[in-house]
Amino acid sequence: MGSRVEILNDDGYRSDGRRQYELREITIDLSQRGAADGSAMITHGLTQVLVTVFGPREAKMRSHTLHDRAVLNVEVNIAPFSTGERRRRTRGDKRVLELASAIKSTFEPVVQTSLYPRSQIDIYVHVLQQDGGLLQASINGTTLALVSAGIPLLDLLCSVSGGVHSASPLLDLTTLEENDLPHLTVAVMPKSGKVTLVSMETRLHVDRFGEMFRLACDAAKVIHGEMKKAVKARTQKLVNAMDVGPGAKLQGDFADRDDEMDMME
Amino acid sequence: MISISKSEKSYIQESLRSTLAFREDGRGLSDFRSVFLETGIAPLANGSARVNLGKAGQEGGGGTEAIAAVKLEVEDVQSGDGVDGGRVACNVSCSPAAYSHISSNALDNLQHDYTTLLHQVLSHPTLHPKNLGILPHKKAWLLSLDVTILSDAGNAFDVIFMAARAALWDTKVPRTRSIQYAGRKSVQTPEEAMDVDGNSAGPSNFNTRDLPTATDFELADTWDEGEPLEGRERWPVCITLNIDSPVHYLDATLLEEAATPLRLLLLFSFPSSSSSILQSMKLLGPGELKLSEVTGHITDGEKYARTLFNALESKLRDEDLRRNQKARTKFAGR
Repeated sequence: MGSRVEILNDDGYRSDGRRQYELREITIDLSQRGAADGSAMITHGLTQVLVTVFGPREAKMRSHTLHDRAVLNVEVNIAPFSTGERRRRTRGDKRVLELASAIKSTFEPVVQTSLYPRSQIDIYVHVLQQDGGLLQASINGTTLALVSAGIPLLDLLCSVSGGVHSASPLLDLTTLEENDLPHLTVAVMPKSGKVTLVSMETRLHVDRFGEMFRLACDAAKVIHGEMKKAVKARTQKLVNAMDVGPGAKLQGDFADRDDEMDMME
Repeated sequence: MISISKSEKSYIQESLRSTLAFREDGRGLSDFRSVFLETGIAPLANGSARVNLGKAGQEGGGGTEAIAAVKLEVEDVQSGDGVDGGRVACNVSCSPAAYSHISSNALDNLQHDYTTLLHQVLSHPTLHPKNLGILPHKKAWLLSLDVTILSDAGNAFDVIFMAARAALWDTKVPRTRSIQYAGRKSVQTPEEAMDVDGNSAGPSNFNTRDLPTATDFELADTWDEGEPLEGRERWPVCITLNIDSPVHYLDATLLEEAATPLRLLLLFSFPSSSSSILQSMKLLGPGELKLSEVTGHITDGEKYARTLFNALESKLRDEDLRRNQKARTKFAGR
């Protein structure tokens, strides 16, 4: 057998060349897609997720609405070509439903649903490429899509995954690392430090867990910085676009403007 | 598919039938909206493409968008579902984001309709690529084409086939080399040799199970993506003629599709060696056509399809250039 890939070698480098606490490269694209009210495409290294948000709008089924707040409806669609081996999942796949349900319960306390009674907010998550950190990318993408749609949130929810490799904690795991190590995903509201999601499906010693959890919460603040930068850049772009179009700020006095309009006719 | 009022419907129909026919966005009857195409968007797939028809601008939104990806898997011909020479399987999935106003059952039906059409056209023996076999009668490639519709602003059929064609154009089949295991010759003298399972004269010492002389294949070069899929120039393009007798027009928006539900789908293939081939034809929607009208539409459709095919060809070659040649010169210049 060939040499086994080392999760963390003696010099402190991981299998993809990162350091122990280093996060993967994050790219955020908030441009509009389709007829969605808000959309965001986020990549963490090689994991790419597209999230589109519709709403708040009239619910399809009146019976599914609540009288005092909006209902969050999350649907996850994992592309068959997203992993190395093609795998077609039906809509009722339990793993997919579990992911959707985790995202929904993560955002229930964050979205200000009480402002929109009897309406529905639809969140559609499309997984285009997977290389570990799927829940993390989905949650970050959903936050950005909700912001892009203009839906009021209590805070930007940031999520990061982490794992432990023989007493050394690692952040932002790839598929290779997730298969080997016990790992958890946390979703944190950075300003207040409140946590809305902690998810772990493997076994981890209690002592290691505390350290890992604190580290992941700190890492979420770093992702918060990236998200804020992306949202600001997008807003700046939109504001600049508004300045150029009709209805721009008046420059000079009214007489000049009238002359311009006469000439255009 | 969207609801439309009687006055909207008659407005659209009247404008189409008037002497100076015009449409709601000012296009001519045979004008397409702008098409954005990009190949190689899914690096894990053997071939992929994204097509967006009718986006508002470079940074704009809207339009009909579809992603297509091809994955090749090895299938066993004898024990599995494999067919000697490989087989093609197509699948279309509609994102609920694209069709948020219809129920999930109706969405499944729609997906099934698109899938059936795509599969029946592309898996036809005349289009079958010749380099999908690996080991004759033993192993072959299964080509799975997955198309996902991310948003729909009308004319979904044309976009699905454009994306499928682009992904198939981009597909590279890994080069394989067949290998054969040979056992060491036994050094025992004939009288000492044990008669194990009656295989005393067996050729291979590795043959511990009842297998034929093990032949297998290996990838010639793991870093090489492979050779292009054979028959790239044969894949068809689809042109949808929306018919509101006696007028027909192309590339309908959602409102126009609701106003003129009768459509004729024509799939043309333009192989370099021979003249154009009508690969498939389908009439959708309520209404009827005289046979003379149908032949007229086929002739017109062939002209439109040829224009679409040529435009698609030049764009696909451009994409090849961008990704391969330019990437190499960029890397060399670092």
